[in-house]
Amino acid sequence: MSWVGLIPLLPLLAALAIGLRMVTGSGRGEAGETATARIGVWAALGALLLLLLLDGVALVSGAPGTVTLGTWFESGAFTIPVGFTLDGLSLPVATLVALIAFLAQRFSVNYLHREPGFHRFFFGMSLFTGGMLLIVLSGNAVLAFAGWELAGVSSWMLIGYAYERPTATGNALRAFVTNRIGDAGFLFGIVLALLWLGSVEWGAMAERAPELGTLSAGVLALGFVIAALAKSAQVPFAPWVARALEGPTPSSAIFYGALMIHAGVYLLIRLQPVLEQSPAVMGLIAAVGLLTALYGWLSGLVQTDVKSSLMFATTTQVGLMVLACGLGWFTLAAWYLGLHAAWRAYQFLLSPSYLELTGAAPAVNPPSRSRGLYTAALQRFWLEAFTDWLLVRPTRALASDVNSFDQRVVSRLVGLPEGSAPGTTEVVRGHGAAGRLLQWSAGWLNAFERHLVFHGGGKLSRLLQRLGGYLLTVESLLERPVYLLLLIMATFAVIL
Amino acid sequence: MTAHAATQPVGDIRDRLRALVAHLEHVLPGQAPIRDFVHHNTLHGLQHLPFREALTEARRLTGARGYLPDETFRELYRRGRVTRADLEAAIAEQPDLDGDAELMAAGDGLVRRRDVIIAGLLHPFRPVTACQLNWQIEEQNALAACQPDLPPESRERLLAAARAHGVEDEAAAVRELWAACLETLGLTHASIHPEELIDLSPEEEAAMAAAPEEDEAAGEARSRVDRLVRKEAARLFESHFDRVGEELTLRGLLLALTGEDLMEELLPPLVRQLSAHLDQGLAGWHNPRRDQGFYAAWRASAHRDYAWLFRDRPEWRLQLERLPEDPAELIAQELRLLGLPEARWEGYLERLALELPGWSGMFLWRHNHPRYDGHDTPVEMVEYLAVRLVMERMFAQRICRHHWRIEASLPMLRWYFRRHPAELSVRHFLFNARLPEYLTTHAQRLVDESQHETAELMDEAWRPAAHLIWVWRQSPAADRPIGRSVFRSAWPLFRLAQHLGLCGAELRAAGPEGAAALLDSLDHLTEERAGWTWLSAYERHYRERIFTALIANHGRGPWAERRPLPEAQLVFCMDDREEGMRRHLEEINPALETLGAAGFFNIPMNWRGLDDDKALGLCPVVVTPVHEVRELPAEESDPAWRQHRERRDHRLRWRELLFRGTRRGMLPAAVLTAAAGVAAPLLLAGKVLLPGRFTAWADTLRRDFEGSVPTRLTLTADAEQAPPTPQRPQLGFTDDEQAERVGGFLRAIGLTDGFAPLVVMMGHGSHSQNNPHASAYSCGACSGRHGGPNARVFAAMANRPEVRERLAARGIVIPDSTRFVGATHDTCDDRVDWYDEAALPEPFRPALEKLSAELLEAGRRHARERSRRFASAPLKLPEPQAWRHVAARAADFSQARPELGHATNATAFIGRRSMSRGAFFDRRAFLISYDPTRDPDGSVLEATLLSAGPVGAGISLEYYFSSVDNDGYGCGTKVLHNVTGLLGVMEGAGSDLRTGLPRQMIEIHEPMRLLVVVEAATETLTRIYERQPPLQELVGNGWIRLAAKAPDAPRIHLFEPGQGWVLWQGGADGLPQVEHSADWFDGHRDALPPALIASAARTEGAG
Repeated sequence: MSWVGLIPLLPLLAALAIGLRMVTGSGRGEAGETATARIGVWAALGALLLLLLLDGVALVSGAPGTVTLGTWFESGAFTIPVGFTLDGLSLPVATLVALIAFLAQRFSVNYLHREPGFHRFFFGMSLFTGGMLLIVLSGNAVLAFAGWELAGVSSWMLIGYAYERPTATGNALRAFVTNRIGDAGFLFGIVLALLWLGSVEWGAMAERAPELGTLSAGVLALGFVIAALAKSAQVPFAPWVARALEGPTPSSAIFYGALMIHAGVYLLIRLQPVLEQSPAVMGLIAAVGLLTALYGWLSGLVQTDVKSSLMFATTTQVGLMVLACGLGWFTLAAWYLGLHAAWRAYQFLLSPSYLELTGAAPAVNPPSRSRGLYTAALQRFWLEAFTDWLLVRPTRALASDVNSFDQRVVSRLVGLPEGSAPGTTEVVRGHGAAGRLLQWSAGWLNAFERHLVFHGGGKLSRLLQRLGGYLLTVESLLERPVYLLLLIMATFAVIL
Repeated sequence: MTAHAATQPVGDIRDRLRALVAHLEHVLPGQAPIRDFVHHNTLHGLQHLPFREALTEARRLTGARGYLPDETFRELYRRGRVTRADLEAAIAEQPDLDGDAELMAAGDGLVRRRDVIIAGLLHPFRPVTACQLNWQIEEQNALAACQPDLPPESRERLLAAARAHGVEDEAAAVRELWAACLETLGLTHASIHPEELIDLSPEEEAAMAAAPEEDEAAGEARSRVDRLVRKEAARLFESHFDRVGEELTLRGLLLALTGEDLMEELLPPLVRQLSAHLDQGLAGWHNPRRDQGFYAAWRASAHRDYAWLFRDRPEWRLQLERLPEDPAELIAQELRLLGLPEARWEGYLERLALELPGWSGMFLWRHNHPRYDGHDTPVEMVEYLAVRLVMERMFAQRICRHHWRIEASLPMLRWYFRRHPAELSVRHFLFNARLPEYLTTHAQRLVDESQHETAELMDEAWRPAAHLIWVWRQSPAADRPIGRSVFRSAWPLFRLAQHLGLCGAELRAAGPEGAAALLDSLDHLTEERAGWTWLSAYERHYRERIFTALIANHGRGPWAERRPLPEAQLVFCMDDREEGMRRHLEEINPALETLGAAGFFNIPMNWRGLDDDKALGLCPVVVTPVHEVRELPAEESDPAWRQHRERRDHRLRWRELLFRGTRRGMLPAAVLTAAAGVAAPLLLAGKVLLPGRFTAWADTLRRDFEGSVPTRLTLTADAEQAPPTPQRPQLGFTDDEQAERVGGFLRAIGLTDGFAPLVVMMGHGSHSQNNPHASAYSCGACSGRHGGPNARVFAAMANRPEVRERLAARGIVIPDSTRFVGATHDTCDDRVDWYDEAALPEPFRPALEKLSAELLEAGRRHARERSRRFASAPLKLPEPQAWRHVAARAADFSQARPELGHATNATAFIGRRSMSRGAFFDRRAFLISYDPTRDPDGSVLEATLLSAGPVGAGISLEYYFSSVDNDGYGCGTKVLHNVTGLLGVMEGAGSDLRTGLPRQMIEIHEPMRLLVVVEAATETLTRIYERQPPLQELVGNGWIRLAAKAPDAPRIHLFEPGQGWVLWQGGADGLPQVEHSADWFDGHRDALPPALIASAARTEGAG
């Protein structure tokens, strides 16, 4: 059964291959399209065939259950294995994921022909397919988290597909940042599971969950629930998904119509035994689901473009799934998840033909004649403005304060010149404490370099200069929030 | 626009707004909602201007380019699509370029202006920055070797000249040339790094600031710099504020001063309201005040919009409450608040509208077409402008308050910046010019800090920054754009001299005057002149080949006379895509005659097919039909008809329920989704993996389910009726009207005798999946719909004895041995369908079957010819596979290019088919039948030119503009498109509405103006031209090119606007001849020049 690992690995390897081809220049432009598309499509097809094989095995001799390939790492009492859960839930969902991912990529071969972002697109799609399969098949929370992150990153990449448009990049960043809140919840859940249950394996968690008290189970579940709600775009995280429609039609179809948005619901279903220990959390889930369904329904009615309208319809239906989970109807939610994903993928891919598919519109009875309610729906219940007001602005203010503290206090303490008054022997200038350090070392290197220059050997000095240039670039990249986030992610990955 | 402002500075605001709205029609895109997409001249509003001037004006207004970029033209030059001879001819055509002027002597020859211009067209001689020059010298060895893009002959010439002056090796020759460039221009080049300027000693600074008075003390120099900064700031101040209302709005001004674009914040809420107002049926819930107009609806909603609460803008609420009821009043109030002089109001509003051309244009279109398609929402352009103004000010307030703590009005901003000149200076250079990095960082930090500090404190920081920037700008590295400089003059001269093959000594000999003459010639070649010259040369290259082919083909094409009779006659649409189909058909059976005409066949009608819920106009958009023809079941009582209707209604209701029902609502939607979800994976797999077979299967299934019903037409109306009007169209045509329509058409195409036994009217259309721009692929003469019904109606009319009787009385005798048959050609999959074949009498059957088989074969060959242009089809595709390939494209919902539409259109022939039959025109020609021998007074030609001219020009110009600047005039890539309000497409979920053609439609287009060649005497054409202002506009202003081919001699005249007819001097030599089209196109992907086709020129049986 060790070949099970190939299922998520195939698309990830495809992503790696496409990425390498992009970097080395062998996969660029129109000439490279066929090879890139083949890599992506065949990898997805490979994963699908393996899954079908597995399904066959499961049908004949029963679902294999948990398969452990090895140990990821071990530390004291904690072991995190590389394992997969192959049960009646994960197998059908994974098959559906692979099928839709395969079809969407096949669709994109023609659809994206001659696009400058062709290779980028297939890279993102393959990465996503691998990530999504990891989420569904993983045997433990940590492996699922790895998939969770891969899906998030590829989603960010494809929302920003048309990166020459500021709206697209802004929205990509927004979606990414919103999802980080969910990720924090996920990590929180993992840590608590390790501390309280001693394991992050789904099976073990389910077994030991009843040992926990209601409160501990609730706190533990809450982390995962937040992650699920953010990924599945539930209130109050909902607005990010409406902004995610900047990418090409097929990526909108599989990310937000069909697959990624269901990842949260899937996580809830996976955690059923834990959630059931805490009626309060179940109540919370049900309430959020109901609210989201109402939010999506009313906002969806006023949408005037096809993609947004489909997006809010998806939000509504995913809200209903969450509601079902909250009410304890996990099986119903699981069934509906699969059916909804399939139909929505179809509907999204067909969205350009809405002019033909829907003729003259029959009159619909509006839910209300109230101008206030209409405005609220049109403004999407100000959810985004509200969360901005609640979170973004205070964070920005804090950042600004820290920045001036750094400039005015830390700099003085360290004894560096404040502000930008030009010094006479500066080679480079950095900002912030890290920058100062770099500046100091560059200054030192400069002296060293002069020494070298005066004593011949221009080659070495040029090398050093170039090195300094690289360091400066790295520094300036680190100052950008995106890279900071990537750094944080990398740190987490190392910690784990 | 300035004309407005000058003639009518003050007046009643309502009159002024009315005039403004009328004027806006000329500058905004005039595209209809997307279901009624029809090709038209993108610059229709500027058509009264000569082509070249219109492009310049449009560039000024919208910033969109009017010509292909120079790099694209250079690529075309490399591929041989433009030659040096073409460029020389294009330069010779422009007296203001003065190509023959002698600039300097070089060796034993002369350098003429023309040489410099051609060199400038073929190679970029761009100015460089200091860093780029350093890089060129240090990394690219620019001073040790010839330029890498130098053609070998120039290099040879340069080295030979250098040798003649005693310089032997290449490096020395190049160095010597660089020295000569600097010397003749009186410049010195010392490498300087911009950051060196940061550490200027007071002495250095003083030297820079006060070069002439060297003994001034440093302190005085500083205050001198201060004065200079102030003086400059005053100039900048004027330049910024004077542009408001002419080129800028408040948004533009704030963008120039803060780098912040308020449109980013404003667009989402605006687009939500706008598309909700214009929505044609996508949303399920609309603003309850929608029927009171946009302004009232917006205001009602804005009052209840609590966004201000979260954005800390309590002032919004107050402002919204104070808004007047009347939008015109509001506009006046807002513009007064803004503090804009009254004379500039129109200019400001025009700019405002042009900031979102797509939405503004659509709003204006709906304003001009009230009750369009039954939508009774009032759409008033003035209300749109009012809302735009209010929202702009509300969002500008945040920026103004944030940066300067003042109100968002021009007087306040003026007041502020008059007091803070240094800040203005820094902001100007930071956001509108390129500063070196160290200055950018510094200035940007000041801008950030200024939001937390008081203005007085900040002035202390702004002043030194302005000072630094000023000093940097005086340095050689900054390269002020006046006079000659190393980076702007010497470097381009250096490159130019190499391309001309001049050596240093020759340049020195020419002296400063010679160098100046070279550079001036280069400067004279502005972007506009270069574009125009390239375009002229490009068009000329193609034109020469077309003329050559027409001359070579003179006398070869059959059916100039119809003796003996052709086996059958087929009347196609004039569409360029039919050229290939006709050619193949003629190759298969030379005894067939094909004709072409605008594909509505002179039957302007509202058509209501059996399954349609309303009638749609099938005729050119400029015509409003007053007749309606309905398709009805042959027998109302036919049970098959009842079953068809019921099952079809059922099917549509279910489809509606699935696609719309799963989009709206909660629980019912969930039930529907779950039901649909069971089938979806299979459907999806079928559609994606086997598009052709799946769609064919689904179509068969649908047909079997619904069944087909024989139908009849409501063709004939009683003669005694009130004259029909567009509001009350008449059902059917009277006998007289029918005879008039049919007779007029037959006369126009010159088919008034020699009728073959079968005359086929071939309408056309296209079908594809998942394509919002579907109407752009169908018949342009039928308002972007299928022309099949017109063909069917025409044939039915022409077969009626009543009509034939009346025609005979008018001199057109159609013998009883002739039958008309209607058919339709699908340009996407090349299949042909027949109408009413069952009604065809038995004796005609065999002929129809033969013809049917020939059309099938022609379709296969045509599919193969078309496949050569599809990247996804293998290059040498055998016919059966090509036939399947095009069918699969039409059936494939992942295909963004089901067919290539009119992408190849370039020319139009009006005349007998004998003029062009027998030559290969690569599907690039509109073919319009006209017989000059049957039109002594030119009245038939006049009507043909008036109807076909604008259709052809509209198609050609729409493709032209969408190709030369797809971002500006086209609608970008289909991949991001999102259908909005059922009226257009956006990119993503909240952008401007995108108009024009998508990138996928124009990729292979060669943008040039339509070349119309008419088979007629120049005198006839001149008479028509003088009578017809629309033709004077199109031809005289150069929107299309007109040529006359003499009917009886191999002679062509080209019409040059301003000059008149010019005899074409070329000959017919060197045109290759092949047996079949396939011998010529096999193995080629790109556009092909004409060739003679032997098999199509023969007339079997005609002798």
